[in-house]
Amino acid sequence: MTTARRCLIAIGAVIMTYAVFGAFTDADVNFGALIFLIGALIAHDALLLPLTIAAGVLVGRFVPRRFRALVRAALVISLAVTIVAFPLVLGRGRAADNASLLPLHYGRGLLEIYALIGTTAAVAAMMRAWRDRRRRTAPPDPESSPAATS
Amino acid sequence: MVRNTDPRLSPDPEPDQQPTRGSRLADGLKRGLTWLQQPLPAPPATLRRGPMRRGAFDSKLRSPRLTSLLGLALAVAFTVCFVTGLISHFIQHPPLWFWWPSRPVGLYRVTQSLHVATGLASLPLLGAKLWSVYPRLFAWPPARDLTHAIERASLAVLVAAALFQLFSGILNISRWYAPMPFFFTAGHYWSAWLALGALIMHIGVKLPIIRQALTRATPDRPAPGGLSRRGLLATVGAAAGIITLATIGQTVTPLASVSVLAPRRPRSGPQHLPVNKTAGGAGVRDAMFNPSYRLTVVGPARTVRLSLTDLAALPQHTVVLPISCVEGWSSTGTWTGIRLRDLVALAGVDADNAEAYVESLQTGGRYRATTVPAPHTRDPFTLIALRLGGEPLHPDHGYPARLIAPNRPGVLQTKWVARIIARGVS
Repeated sequence: MTTARRCLIAIGAVIMTYAVFGAFTDADVNFGALIFLIGALIAHDALLLPLTIAAGVLVGRFVPRRFRALVRAALVISLAVTIVAFPLVLGRGRAADNASLLPLHYGRGLLEIYALIGTTAAVAAMMRAWRDRRRRTAPPDPESSPAATS
Repeated sequence: MVRNTDPRLSPDPEPDQQPTRGSRLADGLKRGLTWLQQPLPAPPATLRRGPMRRGAFDSKLRSPRLTSLLGLALAVAFTVCFVTGLISHFIQHPPLWFWWPSRPVGLYRVTQSLHVATGLASLPLLGAKLWSVYPRLFAWPPARDLTHAIERASLAVLVAAALFQLFSGILNISRWYAPMPFFFTAGHYWSAWLALGALIMHIGVKLPIIRQALTRATPDRPAPGGLSRRGLLATVGAAAGIITLATIGQTVTPLASVSVLAPRRPRSGPQHLPVNKTAGGAGVRDAMFNPSYRLTVVGPARTVRLSLTDLAALPQHTVVLPISCVEGWSSTGTWTGIRLRDLVALAGVDADNAEAYVESLQTGGRYRATTVPAPHTRDPFTLIALRLGGEPLHPDHGYPARLIAPNRPGVLQTKWVARIIARGVS
């Protein structure tokens, strides 16, 4: 495995060198690309991800334990969709003479997806609450152990 | 947790030898490597604050197994994106050895739709993957030795290049270029190589951890109320699925009504076909309607000039071909016009062994001219189209004449064609 690892590391280094060399000799790539590269890293590691983790902490503090996983899942999906939708909703790519560019109402589309995610999560939460209540109120059933449904 | 301390990566000790040039070189190399692995002085412990404190990240969900599973899925997605992207790049900038067929007519439509759809679907994967290793960013000490420092720098490159690809791709399909202070295509291309190299290196460094994590079962024990590993993977899958459904309608027409976030609708636009560059944007409005318009076909032996009447008098053919944009949308049109091979033959060139350089009325711009390679010039489906859906071409679709060839990106389907230079190829 050591040889395989050394090969992978060496191949990776060669390709990275090729990329850097290629970018520097390509007249269409200027330092703007480097700024975007570093900017993307900072935007994600210092802004987007800490905010996401902070939101997760808030969920842990304010959402009842049995719904926490559901709420987190719904928020993660909503965040991913929002990142894709953001430039579309902003609509800076529209052009006055070309109606076929960004032809939809993306703000409404995004709200529809939020509604879909929210509804699905709410239904799942209700089903869980209902199941929990039945388990608490029903007399112990020797046929099914609680572990089988948790 | 995820740490590379495998001593087998350092060179094996070599038996004593006479000091030949080779052994001196090996000796120097060995000294260099030992120097790279000299422990660096530990930074003062008082600097270990905030996220660098022990136990600052308390999620029980993070594990090498979760990271490896997400990494595996990402590696597959990035490979698909890289290969399809490279195909698209080579079609537009063919190296000498590259060959791209004219059939199946919709192959490029598939590869490029796959490129964009896979890139979009990998966004939640990348997000979850980076979350799963985020505490490693604050590992203490920041660098144990120089090798470790280099490895961490290469990781920063990998993360930055991966984010570069996704962010720039999303901005491109939304046609929002202001945040990108470079030419998108070139930046996206070189950053793809950077991401690929850094990814291969990363796999090489982490291979033992990946292997162990993927082969040895790790219990999935979520904290009470927390997401389980399976739950998180399902969440990521659901996010990828929703993103795909919300956008894929830009190329899969039956899903157009479901795709509320599709940057394009395959049936929206003049003559039910989307437009990238308008006649006004290309600055050809005057030239295209000028009565003195002639389509010039230049061959080595003779030059033919054809008026609109001449063009209409030539044998007309109708084909159903897609326009497949590099941005991932596509739409099918019914095109009527003259076969390119017939025009090439008019100029006295053997159409079975010819390529055609097709120029637009545009006076500038990156895509004002294109070379149609031999397989496409030969193909009877390749037309200089005069009509779309039975009507004369809309100005934005390239009136009076445009190129439409099978299995080619939309940017190479030159509109407002003014001149064709035919030349034989051996």
